[in-house]
Amino acid sequence: MRAVAVGLGGLVLFAAFSAPLVLAPYPLTLLSLVCIAAILAGSVNLLMGQVGLLSMGHAGISAAAGYGVAWAAVRDMDPLIQLAVALGVTLVVSLVFGLMTMRTNGIVFLMITLALGMTVNGLAQKLSSLTGGQNGLTGVRRPPIVADQGAFYLLALVMLLVALAVTYGLTRSSFGLTLRGVRESEGRMSSLGYPVARAKLLAVICSGLMAGTAGVLAAWQSEFMSPAAAGFSRSAFAVVMVIVGGTGTLLGPVVGAGVVVGIEHWLSSYVERWPTLLGVVLIVVVLFARGGVVGAVQDLIRRWRPGDRGGAAPPGVPALATDGEAVVMTGPGAQAPAGAGKEDL
Amino acid sequence: MSLEQFALQTLNGLTFGALLFLLASGFTLVYGLMRIVNLAHGALYLVGGYVAVVVMARTGSFPLAVASGILAGAVLGLAIERLLLRRVSGQELPEVLLTVGIAIVIGDLCLAVFGGKAELLPVPAELTGATRLGSVMYPTYRLVVMVVAVVVGAGLYLGLQRTRLGARIRAGVDDREMASAMGVGIDRLFVIMFALGAGLAGLAGAIGAGLLTMRPGADLDILLYALVVVIVGGLGSIPGAALGAIVIGLIDAYSKTWFPEFATFAVFAPMALILVVRPTGLLGRAT
Repeated sequence: MRAVAVGLGGLVLFAAFSAPLVLAPYPLTLLSLVCIAAILAGSVNLLMGQVGLLSMGHAGISAAAGYGVAWAAVRDMDPLIQLAVALGVTLVVSLVFGLMTMRTNGIVFLMITLALGMTVNGLAQKLSSLTGGQNGLTGVRRPPIVADQGAFYLLALVMLLVALAVTYGLTRSSFGLTLRGVRESEGRMSSLGYPVARAKLLAVICSGLMAGTAGVLAAWQSEFMSPAAAGFSRSAFAVVMVIVGGTGTLLGPVVGAGVVVGIEHWLSSYVERWPTLLGVVLIVVVLFARGGVVGAVQDLIRRWRPGDRGGAAPPGVPALATDGEAVVMTGPGAQAPAGAGKEDL
Repeated sequence: MSLEQFALQTLNGLTFGALLFLLASGFTLVYGLMRIVNLAHGALYLVGGYVAVVVMARTGSFPLAVASGILAGAVLGLAIERLLLRRVSGQELPEVLLTVGIAIVIGDLCLAVFGGKAELLPVPAELTGATRLGSVMYPTYRLVVMVVAVVVGAGLYLGLQRTRLGARIRAGVDDREMASAMGVGIDRLFVIMFALGAGLAGLAGAIGAGLLTMRPGADLDILLYALVVVIVGGLGSIPGAALGAIVIGLIDAYSKTWFPEFATFAVFAPMALILVVRPTGLLGRAT
């Protein structure tokens, strides 16, 4: 099983890296968008899967980073300086997100992040001296090395792999364990002497840096920044990606990003009401397939392997106990059939 | 800035606060009883507004337009609670995710049905003039909005404190399980409450359509304000929603006049401050 998974993974990676040799610019653009969306969804998933915090404002962080790059780029600054500006903006915005939410959880966390994301959106619209207001910032140029769409796609792909590796490392670290402890029982963790608020703050900043990476890439990809990038729908779509792909799984956000970008950019030429379709997909997944695509595949694999664990694992089994699959399952309800354990947002 | 201008901005702030109260009271009532953060609340507002505009254009009757806005919100709310939310009752995360999905769907379908252009509800002739208040002239319609908010607020408060249904609702807010054990039909209360909250959103939309335009995205703009109002005022509290709405309405009006570039930020700053000083909101109860 492990060999099959590794072989399959290697094949996918090989195909992903050789795509620029065979594909036209437009499909490459789509693939770049999938990579970028997957990084943003991964940042949302990091908080949701590990700490159990659902952010509805992450597009605000990524858009802030994008505005940082765009602001510097339209002033003809060096790409490194663009990145430094973006990093600074990202850190400040994530710090605000983290400081304001570190003593909250559940619904209040969600509401504050939603409000913060929309505040970024509002600032982007009104603070026209920096952001260009409703018209946005045009004339952002990619750094010359990645001006070609194939080269840019490779950059986005590598950044996605880095993000996945960092996420994987984080989930396996003691910090990841602390975060999951906070998810399961915040009171117990703080009685044990863990600095819960600080752990949450750090988690939000880590996740924010990832979202910022997506924002920088998005600004370079479209060579344009507008307030819509920080809008509610962008944040909501990132959440849709996580839920549809499979909360708390490593590859779920990638799959979800593929689905959402596919609907938004490809299916939208055939279906005019694609946002409705996205909304319906989200509703259906929440009602009937709590584990998302990756969760469903894992269920299938488990059923297909008789005698291994005897059908679907009972709810409540620590997700990390199942090794062998190519994905880490660390989220609540990542494998439980009816999404048991997911109630504790 | 002259005193007249200041008075005018204060009245504008109070008008907007009145609208925010209508919206936030429904939001906070639903949260208080059902623990559902209804992110489709803005979408229900938008539907109420659009329906009012359409009915006004067809019939020319303002009361009928407002009534159908309320009805549209309430019926939609009823359907959402019965068909979707009920299936995941008591599970915070799936509930809120469903409302996100609903918000996306309603927002997009509104765009499909009502188009992308901004719609304003034509106010009937008897409400279009201005009324003299001391030394300032102020649009009558805006004063009516304030009166409606006060009447609705008083009605909600009295309804919760003085009626049998209100007592049941308060019991449900305090302790859902215990109330249920004492024979309060909690399921039916949930439907009533969600429909009431959605109807209030529809009312806010119908009334608001005469003040602000209904357009794609208006649902989300107003949702942000409603969120900030309930965070500032305290989740689940009607007096909190009233206080929060007035505070945020005034701040919004003043900041839009004095430093327009930071208007959004000015609304957000008190929210940040409150969260640090008093995380449960001004009048919220510790949970």
